[in-house]
Amino acid sequence: MSAHQHAEGHLPHEPEKATLEGRNKILGFWIFLGAETVLFGTLFSAFIALRHQVLDGPHPSHLFELPMIFAATMILLTSSLMSVFAVQAMHNNKVKAMIGWLLVTILLGLAFLGLEITEFNTYVSEGHNMKTSAFSSSFYTLVGFHGAHVAFGVLWIGLLITQIFKKGLTVVTAPKIYLSAIYWHFIDVVWVFIFTVVYLMGKVG
Amino acid sequence: MASNHSSSEEVKRHRVEGPQKHIVAFVLSLALTIIAFAAVAAGDINTTFTYIILVAMAIIQVFVQLAFWMHMKDRGHLFPIIAIVAGVFVVFTAVITAVYWVWW
Repeated sequence: MSAHQHAEGHLPHEPEKATLEGRNKILGFWIFLGAETVLFGTLFSAFIALRHQVLDGPHPSHLFELPMIFAATMILLTSSLMSVFAVQAMHNNKVKAMIGWLLVTILLGLAFLGLEITEFNTYVSEGHNMKTSAFSSSFYTLVGFHGAHVAFGVLWIGLLITQIFKKGLTVVTAPKIYLSAIYWHFIDVVWVFIFTVVYLMGKVG
Repeated sequence: MASNHSSSEEVKRHRVEGPQKHIVAFVLSLALTIIAFAAVAAGDINTTFTYIILVAMAIIQVFVQLAFWMHMKDRGHLFPIIAIVAGVFVVFTAVITAVYWVWW
């Protein structure tokens, strides 16, 4: 056996599920995601109920620019695929490749955040800020909460990369990598509903 | 030891299949996104029909991503399914209530 050992030490297949602690983390994380679904769902319900109350502010169909939203969607979708590749590299015990994919994931997340900040800046300059109307308040709360989740994900995955450098890939660090990927996919799933309900439906009227 | 080896062989064969499924999920998500954006960009389609297309594309895409990228189709994912279904149940209640309050 020892002849086959890697420099990082021998890891079982699917190291994220190798220990009871790892499996419990995954179970607990899914319960957390159930709660996150409720969090975003209630923000969606407020937005859907209030989205026509624009008062004197700009109407969503004039405000939103589809090319920019499409670019942001592509960036986040690609980022989600990159974190799939990171987990697959982890399953193949290729630590360097895993770190590489995670870095690409983070960079795309930062690009998404940059686009969102530019977008919000443009809206504010067009007279659509937090206090303009019920539509603008619910819009910024919903989309801003999603943006905050992206920012948290970038920070989290960034810290995980530094931890991998320090501790290597073990049965303790592997569940964290796996869960950060699950979290990242969840953020992308929420974005699917945001671009559909907020932007595309806002554009239709 | 022998059983260990055979199981790790099996695992390797699974790994070779892995990326292809995820790339299929990616291409599918891409296509569903483009259909949704194109339906809105086209502009002259009936509003109700556009809404139906948008909601259908979003729901299909979410199922694709949950199943493949979040591994929900895999074995041993009963509790994740319960957690998400419970969340979605609360969401539907919230959305229906909010819409009922404000619009009727």
